[in-house]
Amino acid sequence: MAVKISQAERMMNLLALLVDRAKPLTLRQIRQELGKQYPDSDEAARAAFERDKAALREMGIPIETKTLGGDAAGEVTYWVNRSNYELSDLRLTDEERVALQLAVATVHLGAQHGEEALWKLGGERIMRKASMSVNIGLVDQNMSTITDAVMKRKTLNFNYKGEKRQVDPYGMLSRSGFWYIIGFDHLRRDQRVFRVDRIEGEVAAGEARAFKTPVDFEVAAAVPTEKQMLAAGDGEVTSAVVLVDAALAGGVRREFGESFVIRDRSDGSVEFSIPCANLDAFRSWLFAMVESAEVLEPQVMRDQVVQWLEDLSAGK
Amino acid sequence: MTTKKKAKSTSKPVAKKKSVKKPVKKPVKKPVKKLARPARPARRGPRSAAQRVSGLLVMLPWIMQRKRIKISAMARQFNLSEAELVEDLQMAAVCGVPPYTPDALIDVYMDDGMVIAEVPLMFSRPLKLSTAELFAVSVMAQTAMQLPGANKKGPLASALVKLAPLMPSGAETIKVQLPKTRYVKELLDAANTGERQEIEYFSPATQKRSERMITARKVFEDSGRWYVAADDHLSGEDRVFRIDRIEKISGTKIFDQLREVRDDELPWFSESLQQVTLRVQKSSRWIVESYPYLSRVDNKDGSVDLRMSITSKHWLGRLLLRAGKGVKVLKPAEYKNLVNETATAVLARYRSTPSAS
Repeated sequence: MAVKISQAERMMNLLALLVDRAKPLTLRQIRQELGKQYPDSDEAARAAFERDKAALREMGIPIETKTLGGDAAGEVTYWVNRSNYELSDLRLTDEERVALQLAVATVHLGAQHGEEALWKLGGERIMRKASMSVNIGLVDQNMSTITDAVMKRKTLNFNYKGEKRQVDPYGMLSRSGFWYIIGFDHLRRDQRVFRVDRIEGEVAAGEARAFKTPVDFEVAAAVPTEKQMLAAGDGEVTSAVVLVDAALAGGVRREFGESFVIRDRSDGSVEFSIPCANLDAFRSWLFAMVESAEVLEPQVMRDQVVQWLEDLSAGK
Repeated sequence: MTTKKKAKSTSKPVAKKKSVKKPVKKPVKKPVKKLARPARPARRGPRSAAQRVSGLLVMLPWIMQRKRIKISAMARQFNLSEAELVEDLQMAAVCGVPPYTPDALIDVYMDDGMVIAEVPLMFSRPLKLSTAELFAVSVMAQTAMQLPGANKKGPLASALVKLAPLMPSGAETIKVQLPKTRYVKELLDAANTGERQEIEYFSPATQKRSERMITARKVFEDSGRWYVAADDHLSGEDRVFRIDRIEKISGTKIFDQLREVRDDELPWFSESLQQVTLRVQKSSRWIVESYPYLSRVDNKDGSVDLRMSITSKHWLGRLLLRAGKGVKVLKPAEYKNLVNETATAVLARYRSTPSAS
């Protein structure tokens, strides 16, 4: 009769055995060594062993196998090589470990992977509250698949805006609260940007090292900024003169820079030249200032703004 | 292998049967008092075997590095209840290789509220970092390097250099960009010293600039913006201010007692006026993605009903103006015509100067 033992304990013993024994073991030998920890019937023992093996592999322990020939033809042997799963000593200094701990305590990613990395590196989760925090949360059901694919250059398959996409992810960028994947879109035969939170449903990844990232690829430059978004459109008018009241002028000046300033008025308000080829983006940017900003020129753009306002005012 | 030290432990009773090993040698003190406390928030059902084993494979090397640590501290560190930790370590203590004699077992036991690991034998080295862990640590460290006061040549940088050989090649093209906002460093220093600051702040809710005295408590970045949580001496409340709306700042040489603010106690909505329900069409989906909401209902036609807290009528009017036809106010009734009112008000500006230039 098999002894009553928890699956967790049996898994620990199995791993200890595979690590400890110098030579590969067959399931028969494993069962002999572990005594009655596996069920008595061959079938049930095999099923339990397969479960244990799959779970151990899942947690990053490579269980190697080899099918024997000769007398034992067809029998499979199993072993674990410690060096394949053990972290080599990185010789981190205490100072370096503390710096990593502080980074993990300050930057919030939304998953526990940072803490787990710290523990493996011999560090600790800092319990006290920091006076600073940064939230770049990547809370997504597909997070592991996506990051793994980007790190190991695997092609991704997912649905986006109702279409099946196949993408070679060249890189990832976190900006303004969103994570982006930038990559070669096989459907469009071109480089495209995808917002991770807009991916629909599951993501599947292919084999590692499936593609090469172009040498001149730059992640940050591949995702347009708000300023660039305003200019990225097919509107006939490409820029407009916008008067911004004193209360908000400082912020706009900081956002766009001096080169966008046309002139300062004596009351503190400022005239800017703002790109507006992307009408939707321009409208959203302009109306965020409500009555503190006004389009002065060209007349056709001013008329357009008045038209928008009249439509809304009339409840259209 | 430290076999010498192992010899010392032969005073332990030699156990032939698995069931009478370690626990007999050093009886485990049950942390009854601690357990009598209200349980921590129920976060899950029973843990799976895989969860327990993978947890142990992380904890065993960790404890062996430290030799001894309080059970309570270790449980807190690993987000386990003390009962769970004790259960797992007891289990680990009877694991090993046949024949299950003490020298072939994992040498960890508990005594007098402490976890003690004596001889590194089995599972003394940590597992390699998974890709998700490498991603996390690289992204977090890279982000921390961009923070005010970060030392580009300090220990974090050198830790990253040591981690670099572990990183798959794709890690190079994963980047985090934080907004560059002035006064973040000044406010962080203020939060650390308690020095009260005089600020000039633009409030979009009132469309006015005001002078305020604040004591900064926590500086944080969220969704691409920097904020400071502070005691606002003007209103007498805890408030969250957007740092990019601070026009001027100066120290006052008045120092308040330091106080920590937890992330879950940030006074986001302290100035909330009321709750509104909006129907957001697909075309205005950015609203759902950009603003915190209290609850959402997804409708069959793809629109979303959002319940959110608003800070002022003006703020809501601004949101409605930006969203245009993509949003309708469902509740309260008094705001149903707010977008018309706001548009009319802005229109007045254009009409007063028919040909502005």
